[in-house]
Amino acid sequence: MIEVKRITKRYGPVTAVDDLSFTVRPGHVTGFLGPNGAGKTTTMRIILGLDAPTSGTALVGGRRYRTVVRPLRLLGSLLDATAVHGGRTAYDHLLSVALSNGIRRGRVAQVLELTGLDSVSSRRVRGFSLGMKQRLGIAAALLGEPPVLMFDEPVNGLDADGVRWIRLLLRRLAADGHTVFVSSHLMSEMAQTADHLIVIGRGRLLADTPTDRLTTSSSRGDVLVRSPQASQLAGLLAARGAAVTVTDDGGLAVAGLAAPAIADLAAAHGVPVHELMPRPLSLEQAYLDLTGTSTEYHAASADGKAEADR
Amino acid sequence: MTAAGIRAAEVPEPAMVARVRDVLAYEWIKLRSIRSNYVTALVAAVVTLGATVVVAHALASTPAHQPAAPVTSLTASFLPYAEYAVLPISVLGVLQFTSEYSTGLIRTTLAAVPQRWAVLAGKVAVVGAAALVAGEALAFACFFLTQAILSGRHRGLSLDTPGVPGAVLAGGFLVCACTLMALGLGAIIRHTAGAITATVAAIYGVAGLCFVLPAPWKTDIGRFTMAFAASQVLARHSQHGLFSPGASMLVLIAWPAVTLLVAGLVLARNDA
Repeated sequence: MIEVKRITKRYGPVTAVDDLSFTVRPGHVTGFLGPNGAGKTTTMRIILGLDAPTSGTALVGGRRYRTVVRPLRLLGSLLDATAVHGGRTAYDHLLSVALSNGIRRGRVAQVLELTGLDSVSSRRVRGFSLGMKQRLGIAAALLGEPPVLMFDEPVNGLDADGVRWIRLLLRRLAADGHTVFVSSHLMSEMAQTADHLIVIGRGRLLADTPTDRLTTSSSRGDVLVRSPQASQLAGLLAARGAAVTVTDDGGLAVAGLAAPAIADLAAAHGVPVHELMPRPLSLEQAYLDLTGTSTEYHAASADGKAEADR
Repeated sequence: MTAAGIRAAEVPEPAMVARVRDVLAYEWIKLRSIRSNYVTALVAAVVTLGATVVVAHALASTPAHQPAAPVTSLTASFLPYAEYAVLPISVLGVLQFTSEYSTGLIRTTLAAVPQRWAVLAGKVAVVGAAALVAGEALAFACFFLTQAILSGRHRGLSLDTPGVPGAVLAGGFLVCACTLMALGLGAIIRHTAGAITATVAAIYGVAGLCFVLPAPWKTDIGRFTMAFAASQVLARHSQHGLFSPGASMLVLIAWPAVTLLVAGLVLARNDA
């Protein structure tokens, strides 16, 4: 379990993390979402004791990371897969990390096999592709069989196979009762992996919610209604306080009134309804709504913004 | 399902012996698993021994028994050594931290061992021991090689000449002292080029400046530098104006000691 308590981190005049608090629980994949520059990596570095927070505390298993002896048996992490010495072989890299935490040598072969690197273990890391380096970093994180795992953007730069492999691994670890904390700037990625989402923007907490509730908690969903007497129905709906917009193809997009209420209203006034379709907000849209005002660098136009977020 | 909380509390604190062994094993594997470390040390050894042969032959061809000769049979052993052995091995000392900062590996290191003084102590122990072994081996090799060449002219010294064993041992220690200072400068500066520049300045540059100072200042200030102190401990007869060989040895210890202290404070205080 990871507990972040009222963490603030300032670099001179820039506040990277602003009074951030959340808890990451075991048995789930918890997604850590935010636009680039939102403070995700800084928060993870603080959890790992690499950076000292300006104020607040971060605890892993109830302890500050920098006080833990043999911490890799408590928290396995991968912040930057390219942060390895190219001149070292994969085996030597993992062996050194294992011995630093009193982890038996045999475990190195196990994690090499687990990550599919056993055939390249005697090669120097310099020649590894990004995907292989990601696997090596994950192998190192798993060395100590830690109950808590933390990955920063683990699917960045991976091909489809690599993405699927990591997604399955994260889900399996969580199913085994691990605490899995994984950051991403892509909602689409987290939607398929995370049970729980912590969304931040400009260093502040925007949402801390189960993934499936992020959409329902938003008021942005609407109901698409088609009726041969559309204008009459629109008037009735508006009288009930719903916001009605006419779509390009003549349908009504009704916000602020649930589908059953719309159906009842239409039936009571004898208005035929041909189509009644609740349109929940997509996760992507809910995420954009949340972070829309907190993106560190706004693109010039709406189109540009959509492009930048993709 | 609260596996995390329970297990964290249950992991027993390993004994201090185990913690020391962990850190030493970590740094040792890291040091021995980089091939360029061996290549650099090997090239340094070959160049040093080659240059030593040249210097020894040059000395052997000069007339013997010049009074107040700047180069003696003993100091001739260390002329190339003081540069071609000391400098490359010191650069390896610099790289111990700077290569971790440039590759980002330092974050893996500090995630594995978050106690930063322990990381520094581990590197000092392992790199210091390796540099001492390499330094002593090369110092003795240079000594024996030089004396073998000089003995053809009956000017060779043997190891049981008074003052000689201490000088040769001190020569080996010189590499260790310079390497540890370089390691500390690497931790403080974090960038390879800057740290190498600082190392060269500390070992040779400062002394070079003192060397051009007028008479009393040259030695009054110069005796605090590593190069002047080294020339004192590597000679059989004390030079006037410098610290005694014992005090000069302390100078050689003080440079890396102070640097490493600052390095520890910087490591412990700053974000990685």
